[in-house]
Amino acid sequence: MEQQFTLTSEMRDNRLIISTSGYVNNLGGEAIAKEFSRHFSSGTKEVIINLAQSKVVNSIGMSFLIEIIEQLQEVNGKLVFTNVDPAVEKMLTIMGLFRFAGKERTVEDALKSFSQRK
Amino acid sequence: MAINKRASRTTLADRLSRQIESLQGGFRKLSKAATLKDLAAQFAGVVQGMFPAADIDLVYRPDKSVQWQKIIDSGAGDVEKFLALPSGQASSACSVDEISKRICMVQRLVDKSLIGMVVARRRPMTKNSDVDVVSLRLFIHLFDNAYQELLYRRNEKELIFLLNHRVLQLNSLIDTGIEVSRLDQDASPQQLALERAAALTNASKGVLRVTSGGHLKEEIYFPDGLLLQHTVSKTNRIASSFTFAENTYTFELFEKESRSGILPFENTDQLLLDALARQVHASLENRYLHEQALEKQKFEQDMAVAAAIQKRILPTSLPVIKGYDVAGINIPSKSVGGDYYDCIPLRDGRYALVIADVAGKGVPAALLVSSLHAYLSAYLESTIPLAQLAQRLNKVIFRASTDDKFITAFVALLSPETGEIELLNAGHNPAYLLRNDGNVQEFRAAGLPLGMLDMDFPLKSERVTIGKGERLLLYTDGITEASDERDEFYDVHSPLREFFIHHKPDRAEVFIADLISDIKRFTGSAAQSDDITAFYLQRTS
Repeated sequence: MEQQFTLTSEMRDNRLIISTSGYVNNLGGEAIAKEFSRHFSSGTKEVIINLAQSKVVNSIGMSFLIEIIEQLQEVNGKLVFTNVDPAVEKMLTIMGLFRFAGKERTVEDALKSFSQRK
Repeated sequence: MAINKRASRTTLADRLSRQIESLQGGFRKLSKAATLKDLAAQFAGVVQGMFPAADIDLVYRPDKSVQWQKIIDSGAGDVEKFLALPSGQASSACSVDEISKRICMVQRLVDKSLIGMVVARRRPMTKNSDVDVVSLRLFIHLFDNAYQELLYRRNEKELIFLLNHRVLQLNSLIDTGIEVSRLDQDASPQQLALERAAALTNASKGVLRVTSGGHLKEEIYFPDGLLLQHTVSKTNRIASSFTFAENTYTFELFEKESRSGILPFENTDQLLLDALARQVHASLENRYLHEQALEKQKFEQDMAVAAAIQKRILPTSLPVIKGYDVAGINIPSKSVGGDYYDCIPLRDGRYALVIADVAGKGVPAALLVSSLHAYLSAYLESTIPLAQLAQRLNKVIFRASTDDKFITAFVALLSPETGEIELLNAGHNPAYLLRNDGNVQEFRAAGLPLGMLDMDFPLKSERVTIGKGERLLLYTDGITEASDERDEFYDVHSPLREFFIHHKPDRAEVFIADLISDIKRFTGSAAQSDDITAFYLQRTS
């Protein structure tokens, strides 16, 4: 069963990796956006959101994710989701997030995709 | 003078032309802004291009009831006090302060909010011209147009988001229906449905309660570990419930989320929750029916195995005994009990007549009968006394069976020439011997059933002699306890003993056939609940 929301973040190769756990709702989305903004304002343009421990996302949570994608687009940055549960993947696809954000199996794969992008 | 005027008109035309170009370029730039702040920053940049030596401040007021909010502050000062609101139906207001060299403008925007702009010259000697004022009026109209464009795009985005969300809800409803109806999944359909219902309605939390007779049997929280009673208002909730197998399942969702706070749930949310609850209800019913079908299938397989074992053990034909006529029958019930009978010729010329009944049904009972058959066949060859044989059987059956399994048995050893019979009844129904004088001799149990206790309890055999024309009947309780539609026993209404006395056909097989007919006549359409087994012997010479 889905837990209460928590997140951790780390910088690797100048890329922000946010790993979430629990329900990505208003609270979760806000926490992700806040963590993103903290790094975005200091120039981070490549972001990975690892959803391995988040199996449920609602549309409010998704609206925060869309905003992150838009902000990154404005500076030619990119967001990549990893470890996405099939049900969540379908939700994000229907909501159109993967038209502007990437999707990789693991964080390592996402980091590799960023390297190839350059 | 005429030349000067012409020159002045040319200069003015040039400036206006430049400003029109600037407006066109400015609009293209402004119309890409994603937020009000972004739009204001872009706008300030465009105005700054026309007034490089001025400070430009922008303030915003969502409606008249709130104070001005500064969105661009480049040092024009405490601007709010210079701004006059448009009067009446006017869409804009403008004031020029020649002392402070400020041009102040307020524009009513399309959504009734207000944008205020103050342009303050840095060089006090610079005079604000009419062209400047006209230009700024045009610029602030430009802001209004760009703001409309921003709102339009924002609305369009929200509409697309909303439409996508509706598609997502429908899609998820279908997917969840498929997932909860899968019979091979480990997760409970209730838990999955609760998660999906919360996500699709944007509920911040939810709970599923399963109650029976007013008692709480199970609670599932979403998110897990939620302390519901401390966090949830009772008013902002929707619920849906159903009853299945005496359990009431109640789904409750709390606090519909939005970016601006908690909202009341919509009718669509209730419809979604009801639909998901119905899917869980159907899934539970399907699972129950599936389990029943599997159990039935397993039961039928077990019964087929038990029937096969029993069929292998029971005699396909009985030996011909000179001077005697024998017949036997076993009619297994649907649930296959553990009845057994046989007539086994021994090497010393005697015959072992056996009838037995295992407590229990199905494969375990059939296997125990199989053990009895094997041990009995082996021990009969050793010519040990019947009582000792029974004690040995008791021990091996005890070891081969579970606590609740034992066998009632009747064993008789017939010496055909003399008609002498040594017989032993281990907890079985009494056997009947019909004498020529019409009396019936009963051989009641002389010991406990085989395999009931692991001890050498005394089992006593007795000896009788069967004369010409006399008859012996062995049977199991499937005959005496055969019941009709009112659950009444055959032996109570039509005592077997009386049938045995009064029914004396020439052939043993006719007696068996008539006995079965009599039982069927009694039971009518009632289902056969136990195996029916009988063995009949009559001395003919």
